[in-house]
Amino acid sequence: MSIILKAENLHYPVHQDGKEKIILNNISFEVKRNSILGISGESGSGKTTLGRILSGILKPTAGKINYYFKENHKRVSPVQMLFQNTGEIINPLRKIRSMLRIKGEALERLIEIVGIEKELLDKYGYELSGGEQQRVALARILTVKPELLILDEPFSAQDYESQKNLLNLFLSLKKDLNITMICIAHNLKLLRKLADEVIILYNGEIIEMNKTEELFDDPQQAYTKFLIKAEKYDLKFEDFKQ
Amino acid sequence: MLNVILNKVTINKENKEAIILKDISFHLEEKNIYTILGKNGSGKSTLLKSLTSLFDKRFYSVEGSVFYKKKDLLKLNDEELSDIRRNEIRYVFQDPVNSFDHLKTFEYYFKNFFTKDENYIKELLNFFLLPDLQTLSQMYPYEVSGGMAQRINLVLALAAKPKIIFLDEPTSGIDAPIANLIILKLKEFVNEGNIVLLVTHDIDLTKKISSKIALLSDSALSGFYSPEEFFHIHSLIPEV
Repeated sequence: MSIILKAENLHYPVHQDGKEKIILNNISFEVKRNSILGISGESGSGKTTLGRILSGILKPTAGKINYYFKENHKRVSPVQMLFQNTGEIINPLRKIRSMLRIKGEALERLIEIVGIEKELLDKYGYELSGGEQQRVALARILTVKPELLILDEPFSAQDYESQKNLLNLFLSLKKDLNITMICIAHNLKLLRKLADEVIILYNGEIIEMNKTEELFDDPQQAYTKFLIKAEKYDLKFEDFKQ
Repeated sequence: MLNVILNKVTINKENKEAIILKDISFHLEEKNIYTILGKNGSGKSTLLKSLTSLFDKRFYSVEGSVFYKKKDLLKLNDEELSDIRRNEIRYVFQDPVNSFDHLKTFEYYFKNFFTKDENYIKELLNFFLLPDLQTLSQMYPYEVSGGMAQRINLVLALAAKPKIIFLDEPTSGIDAPIANLIILKLKEFVNEGNIVLLVTHDIDLTKKISSKIALLSDSALSGFYSPEEFFHIHSLIPEV
């Protein structure tokens, strides 16, 4: 299986009150084409910063990323990011139809793929629910035919039914449109259903990386075990002291 | 004990009336954690707020009765209700950061308790892995993450030593390890003879924490069932 992305020794610090704080340190990994890589870890572990570096929004201070794309993309980047939905993900004062900028059969096919009702096309951004806004944002990304899609906490603030629908949508993007995805999520249960491989970040470093099944069935690091136990709401107060 | 009958909760907007909740009745007993499960927009938050008529009365109206200590909460005036919400029935809201005034440090929120039982507050802060009282008192709400604000809200609720706590989506947007701490503390709280009522769409949380569960859908509430019974009846709720 060919690879689409190779990251080597990524390093990213920020400066706070005259002191240097390392957000990401020595991050190296590969992403296989047409696979889904999950990245998890607690708040503040560096997940979103890593997503921003991979999508080219931030530049690492050291290390390099090589991308291996199939086609030559001249106008738009083949790496696109679906941002965490904070209610500001699409323009509230524009109609959905004008945001998507395609017509006819292509438009019908697109809204079918992402599951947007036809009636929504003539509504304004602000009239849509959080979940609908996220689907529109995704549809707009798909119009530029990305090869690599980075999803930042796509499931947060969604109820159980929407989470399940979204999960199936991402799986179908991989199967039907051959899009490679990197999904950042603190929810391990969803990554378990979605990802082929999972990376666990802790304090800006990769502490464990494995095929999804192996990582969940046989976690090596104490911190990974802690997170898996936490997902089942099985932790005792003593577990926090370690 | 809390005895609730909500015949009708309505919202009035642009002279149009819409029914949000109807024919809801249940009673809550000590030493139990009650969970109301429902999808986004099913009226869960409105239900919680209705119990102490905590909403803008120009738009919302509620018909019914909520009996607590032989008093009908829906008939009390604003001052009496504020007093009850301060000391006996505490709320922890869904948007934890915006539950605070962004221009006041946390000292403002904690100082009401300083004279009462400072050690208890310190104990709670330690349990929830929060900064110590001195550090936290100098911080502003915009300096803390959503997960931290959620824990601070819960500390403030518990510090009042209430009889009942209402929680709206206690685990939304927070890390699983912290959610575990919240579960442990709430279980301890009800074991001391108190009541917790929470609304959520987190099914795993519901399974792990609840003594009794009810489903809110189409403006109506099912009865409260034990977790085994509930998930037997509602086996179609999708598991994620």
